[in-house]
Amino acid sequence: MPYLGSEDVVKELKKALCNPHVQADRLRYRNAIQRVIRHMTQGLDMSGVFMEMVKASATVDIVQKKLVYLYMCTYAPLKPDLALLAINTLCKDCSDPNPMVRGLALRSMCSLRMPGVQEYIQQPILNGLRDKASYVRRVAVLGCAKMHNLHGDSEVDGALVNELYSLLRDQDPIVVVNCLRSLEEILKQEGGVVINKPIAHHLLNRMPKLDQWGQAEVLNFLLRYEPRSEEELFDILNLLDSFLKSSSPGVVMAATKLFLILAKKFPHVQTDVLVQVKGPLLAACSSESRELCFAALCHVRQILRSLPGHFSSHYKKFFCSYSEPHYIKLQKVEVLCELVNDENVQQVLEELRGYCTDVSADFAQAAIFAIGGIARTYTDQCVQILTELLGLRQEHITTVVVQTFRDLVWLCPQCTEAVCQALPGCEENIQDSEGKQALIWLLGVHGERIPNAPYVLEDFVENVKSETFPAVKMELLTALLRLFLSRPAECQDTLGRLLHYCVEEEKDMAVRDRGLFYYRLLLAGIDEVKRILCSPKSDPSLGLLEDPAERPVNSWASDFNTLVPVYGKARWASISKCQGAERRGPELPNTASFATAGPLIPDENKERAQELPDSGALMLVPNCQLTAECFEKTWFSLKVAHQQVCRWRGAVHPDTLQMALQVVNIQTIAMSRAGAHPWKAYLSAQDDTGCLFLTELLLESENAEMQISVKQSEPRTETLNSFISVLETVMGTIGDIKS
Amino acid sequence: MIHSLFLINCSGDIFLEKHWKSVVSQSVCDYFFEAQEKAADVENVPPVISTPHHYLISIYRDKLFFVSVIQTEVPPLFVIEFLHRVADTFQDYFGECSEAAIKDNVVIVYELLEEMLDNGFPLATESNILKELIKPPTILRSVVNSITGSSNVGDTLPTGQLSNIPWRRAGVKYTNNEAYFDVVEEIDAIIDKSGSTVFAEIQGVIDACIKLSGMPDLSLSFMNPRLLDDVSFHPCIRFKRWESERVLSFIPPDGNFRLISYRVSSQNLVAIPVYVKHCISFKENSSCGRFDITIGPKQNMGKTIEGITVTVHMPKVVLNMNLTPTQGSYTFDPVTKVRPPLINCKQVFLQSLFCDGREGRRKSLMSWLKVKILTKPGEHTVLCSCPWLWREPHICC
Repeated sequence: MPYLGSEDVVKELKKALCNPHVQADRLRYRNAIQRVIRHMTQGLDMSGVFMEMVKASATVDIVQKKLVYLYMCTYAPLKPDLALLAINTLCKDCSDPNPMVRGLALRSMCSLRMPGVQEYIQQPILNGLRDKASYVRRVAVLGCAKMHNLHGDSEVDGALVNELYSLLRDQDPIVVVNCLRSLEEILKQEGGVVINKPIAHHLLNRMPKLDQWGQAEVLNFLLRYEPRSEEELFDILNLLDSFLKSSSPGVVMAATKLFLILAKKFPHVQTDVLVQVKGPLLAACSSESRELCFAALCHVRQILRSLPGHFSSHYKKFFCSYSEPHYIKLQKVEVLCELVNDENVQQVLEELRGYCTDVSADFAQAAIFAIGGIARTYTDQCVQILTELLGLRQEHITTVVVQTFRDLVWLCPQCTEAVCQALPGCEENIQDSEGKQALIWLLGVHGERIPNAPYVLEDFVENVKSETFPAVKMELLTALLRLFLSRPAECQDTLGRLLHYCVEEEKDMAVRDRGLFYYRLLLAGIDEVKRILCSPKSDPSLGLLEDPAERPVNSWASDFNTLVPVYGKARWASISKCQGAERRGPELPNTASFATAGPLIPDENKERAQELPDSGALMLVPNCQLTAECFEKTWFSLKVAHQQVCRWRGAVHPDTLQMALQVVNIQTIAMSRAGAHPWKAYLSAQDDTGCLFLTELLLESENAEMQISVKQSEPRTETLNSFISVLETVMGTIGDIKS
Repeated sequence: MIHSLFLINCSGDIFLEKHWKSVVSQSVCDYFFEAQEKAADVENVPPVISTPHHYLISIYRDKLFFVSVIQTEVPPLFVIEFLHRVADTFQDYFGECSEAAIKDNVVIVYELLEEMLDNGFPLATESNILKELIKPPTILRSVVNSITGSSNVGDTLPTGQLSNIPWRRAGVKYTNNEAYFDVVEEIDAIIDKSGSTVFAEIQGVIDACIKLSGMPDLSLSFMNPRLLDDVSFHPCIRFKRWESERVLSFIPPDGNFRLISYRVSSQNLVAIPVYVKHCISFKENSSCGRFDITIGPKQNMGKTIEGITVTVHMPKVVLNMNLTPTQGSYTFDPVTKVRPPLINCKQVFLQSLFCDGREGRRKSLMSWLKVKILTKPGEHTVLCSCPWLWREPHICC
């Protein structure tokens, strides 16, 4: 937030910082600088005192230095010319006898983020890599990555990379990990750091000395290494065994993933590992931190997909406690649903039934759907519970129960009788579209077993005029026609009224067409209707709604300990796809390079490959707001980039044209009235790179031709051509409609 | 890895931001606020949110959100753990991890963040090492600093970073050599409406405070190590020795640290120290009802129970409550409809009358509460945190 009066503050601080008395007094000087920092963190623009701050950096007080460097890193991109003045001091500090000062100066210098700084930091970084204090080496190693980023991702400095590879043998464990991180960033284009046998073995031996973050990351890097022999593989697994019991869940998960991937050819080893991590995972599931708990639960679900009975004996762990946030409760309900077996089904259902009446409607509905899921195996008990829930006469409960019933009678036809007995009376408590559709469908398909079915449907028909959802009307048509076949006497009159309404009064085209279709079908004779409507239903064994079969561990091992389990595979694919497209390029070389059996990654890459040519194409921004004055100024300052004429007959309807152009994100700035001679229009559009396209349309009355002149703010022919083709398409379409 | 960190308070102000790579605009937090709005309750914001260009991984601690901005695929547990470590460090330094504390010490916060993370990668996170790099603020030190003009930054490099054992600094000397162990066990339990235990489990930790000179090699043995399930260790513990002999053998870090954490999950070993009974009734033809909770110690435990807090979440329709506790104090928070706490009691009997104001609303309140009585198991979740020394540790140097 730009505060009012920040100028005054800046002026005052400037005065204080320049005051020689203040400068002489270390404490007052530091206090003034602290105030600058405090204002900076509150969002005030403090770049006005840059000069004074640079002067303040020449001091022996290390706190003051830190503060000034913090300030510089924030404002250097805004004041690059002034920041160059500070570099001298920084360079001097890089050869200070105190390693703290050296490290601090080097780190600040690397984080300046301004153009032209590279040439100054190169030498200090190289010196830093050979510094005798490990603190400075750590900073210098990461500095290499920062320098590379500043260079732009173009060239890779081979000598530097070699230096970093040799630093992997450094004594200090953090220097080693930083080397890996830095190399990974520098070599991103080439698929990241290469882990060969000597490096892998070296890292494995250093593992116990690393801190938990380092361990987690090194385990991740080791995924790229493929052991030569079985013997080597089991040696590695033995070495890493203790990390499965680490106190840090992050390390445990990284180790698990490494085990799963290395042992991809040994399913019994994989199962063994999953048994071993059961304890730590369960501990994470009941951890104090709910976020950890959530992520762990997501992984539990992933494991359950391959080993359904894996956590069954611990089902009580997944009972929700009332104070947990929703996202955890929802995950737990899903987990409970998957680990039901003969022994615990009673307790689990009892618990789930408790959730069905939770204050939060979302959670209650999730619990009901979960019971519906369990009902596929334990039908009787579940249907009984669901029926009892109907007795509560709560709107949000009833609608979900009815939807669950609908899915259930299809998958488990044996429960139809029980469902039909439960249904009467439900219609009073259903208001939403989904619930109504489900109820109507049930009444239509199994109406012959529900005594009052025709009368319930009749009520719906009575109120059809006030019905807001077209889908409900469609469902009603089908259901009533079906019921008419089994109970003609009771339904004939109602059906007639409904068909009349649909054909004569209904405004929604789809409903009207459906009505007409059924009407004509009835004209064809009752046998024909029966043949079409009551042909064999789809076979439950088709497995449309059925759970997917157990999936082998290898199918998800490469996704373990990533964001995939959190989002679910399908959603993740779409998220990462759109992110990848926006970033213009595959950003996940690490996942791709160690993809083993996961079908997701190759698929994704294929999709990316297809998208890439598109991403160079024209993308017009939907709401580019250009004022008329601004347009005029730009228009006169630019040269015509392209001019052409297109065929045009008759007058122009400005509204139609404007609307059509709007659809393709071309805005109309000004336009003549319809029928004016000559007719003119000015259009503007902007693509995603910020390039403006300004267009003039001119229609002379005497010839049947529209003259189009396009001006472009940045000369780029390929986007210009695609813009013109868009414009031509629109003009062509409008022209065709008229003629 | 971690691009930026935003600290956001409950009312949605971003009061601190720190960028390790390029500067990410604050507007990225709009996605977070959107999710927060959707979640209705602050606590229900999902920890991982995806935006068109970034992922936001957040944690909620002490009424503050720590929102980290991530640009590439990362192990989520790693980031979550790190954010908790940041919050722990603040807690450690300032005594509390609150907005006020962070704003008061904003300079130290920046120094800490700078040391903990470089270019988005975790560097120094061990509290011992950090405290040598940046001295925590104390009243005494700030007085001394203001007189002498010295700083709260260590002038020398922490030696621990150079020693062979990364968690211990070299050349530690104490005049009194002492070691303290705290065994803290928490019982998590779900009790059903009739008072019987649905689920109970002990989560235990052993926290140590070691002040010993030189490089002490300690071993700690338990009377009955078989009770411990799922033990996870501080990296200093020799895992092989534990596996073969069930003895904890280690060279400890200097100062405070968590030695092990474990679970005891076999049900019959977990004794819940209190009992809870409740009763809900409604007056006919009025919008009021009565709700009693009785809590008392179980006789067979033989230990006194202190510091009991009872929290009851009421549904939104409840407008007001009249509370009459037999012991302790109470409050009713009309915003969150939460009713804490009662303190220091042997037996509590609590009566409350609640009313929901409008008559028209009554039906929904009735049905909700009635349903709850009839069907909800685990209606009371008792979470006791009872610190007592449970197994005497045996130390030999």
